[in-house]
Amino acid sequence: MIRNNKSPSRPRRETALPYLLIAPTVAVLLALSIYPLFYAIRISLQTGTGDAARWSLANFARLASDEFFLEALAHTFIYAVVALTFEFLLGLGLAVLLDRPLRGRAFFRSALLIPMMLPPVVVGVVWRLMLNSDFGAVNGTLKSVGINTESLTWTASPLLALGSVIAVDIWQWTPFMFLVLLAGLQAIPQEPHEAAIVDGSSAWQTFRHVTLPLLKPAILIALLLRTMDLLRVFDQIFILTEGGPGFSTETVSLYIYRTAFRFFDFGYAAAMSFVLLLLTNVISVGYIRLLQKQETA
Amino acid sequence: MNETPNTNKADPRRRGLAGAKMSRAFKYILLGVALLAAIAPVYWMVTISLKTEVDQFASPPRWFHFAPTLEHYYDAFFTRSFAKYLTTSLTVAGLSTICAVTLGTLAAYGLARFKLRGKLDQRLSLWILSTRMFPPIVTAVPLFLMMRDLRLLNTIGSLVIVYTALNLPFVVWMMRGFFRELPRELEEAAMVDGDSRLGALFRVILPLVTPGLAATAVFCLIVSWNEFLLALVMTQTDASMTLPVGIAGRVTQYEIKWGVMSAAGVVAMFPILAFAMAVQRYLVRGLSLGAVKG
Repeated sequence: MIRNNKSPSRPRRETALPYLLIAPTVAVLLALSIYPLFYAIRISLQTGTGDAARWSLANFARLASDEFFLEALAHTFIYAVVALTFEFLLGLGLAVLLDRPLRGRAFFRSALLIPMMLPPVVVGVVWRLMLNSDFGAVNGTLKSVGINTESLTWTASPLLALGSVIAVDIWQWTPFMFLVLLAGLQAIPQEPHEAAIVDGSSAWQTFRHVTLPLLKPAILIALLLRTMDLLRVFDQIFILTEGGPGFSTETVSLYIYRTAFRFFDFGYAAAMSFVLLLLTNVISVGYIRLLQKQETA
Repeated sequence: MNETPNTNKADPRRRGLAGAKMSRAFKYILLGVALLAAIAPVYWMVTISLKTEVDQFASPPRWFHFAPTLEHYYDAFFTRSFAKYLTTSLTVAGLSTICAVTLGTLAAYGLARFKLRGKLDQRLSLWILSTRMFPPIVTAVPLFLMMRDLRLLNTIGSLVIVYTALNLPFVVWMMRGFFRELPRELEEAAMVDGDSRLGALFRVILPLVTPGLAATAVFCLIVSWNEFLLALVMTQTDASMTLPVGIAGRVTQYEIKWGVMSAAGVVAMFPILAFAMAVQRYLVRGLSLGAVKG
């Protein structure tokens, strides 16, 4: 029974085998990722339920004039842009700090990743405890050094709430940027670096003109992955503020959740979720184009 | 802050030894601040879970000096339902991981080792990856309605099914990568020795990818354990809700029991931290998956 694998006439069942291996996975994904998408398209194009359901574009027409939706969209953008900026800058700083051998590097690397690993719900609990205006550790510490914390109600204040939830996001996800960028830095060969230094470039010039360009693919990947997550943010905000006070921290995902599971307007919720999907896709395609340009350049 | 660190990249010979020492001290200060920022809030939650109510609400806050008590853990896990939520979380995470890893590994092998007609293998791989790109809220609404129609709401089964689908693309891509790193000659040799293709997979290939397989499984466990939105949507009864949903329910109640909430938070956190440390080596690959290899 010696089989020569390179012979053109392979046994027949060998050609069926890959399909058999792949089929269950494809079936599960069709049932639980693709079918739901079509289901959502259908309900977004209907008004009324059951026998009274009729086809209409009303759900989509409503989007443009729904102030709450537009405001949630604005919150989502602000949240994403501010958090992404800070996470990137802090993450890059930390990555550069730990790029070179340093005593205790492995320890710092592991310990700094902890926030990212926590269940989002636990992050919510942690920061509710920290930011509570009366008994939280933040205000308690500020008070003990003599700062008046009366107006610093963080997540309970309409003015500070959005900033507070953004700060929590930065706390949790800077480690992600740090990790991906550190991996990127470590993959960069040392020679161009050394050559630049021999040529008399300053540390900053070397970083700016040698390291950063070489790091660009890793940067784009880190930004792409974070952007996609930021646009869909839900968990921490739900625990910290539930979108409040008022509407001040309501993002698109939270508004969709509320529309579907508090007001039971599934059709409209589905319509909004397609806007979110479209937005995420357009932005990630943009990143991927940049990335491909990078690779061919 | 971003420019300063790379002073260390300059050659110490040029900057002088004193300069190198200075910049090292400065590095440690910055790292210390970052470490404190990362750890202190988590540490605070742990202390709250161990404090009596008097100590919890003390002003100024007591970071170190308090009389530790386990009453909140007892309260959460014996007098309230958190033990039930914990069991549910463990069951759901365990079962969905087993399903996803089994199905996904087989598919990954098929996609890594066979050239299908019309580049179907590559197209399928990309399609599988793309299903992971949907924001969860997009599928949450229709999945809720589907589960309602199937009368599966508030069952552990619904979460196992949904989490299996959630993890599958990830498993396929991780394992496809690991399989591709192995030379084809391995199976060919085994098949020459009389093994069938599947025999070669189980006897020769799987033992070689065990570390990667374990890391992949751990990632699935983490994702399932941490997942919140879909669990929130699909399980609302005490008998079916996972730990995150249980905690969230307590957090958003009118009267918050800080100690109970923190105790539950600590219990939800520890398995994940242990797991995460176990898969550190694969972290970057896991996290940037698809984007790097796609």
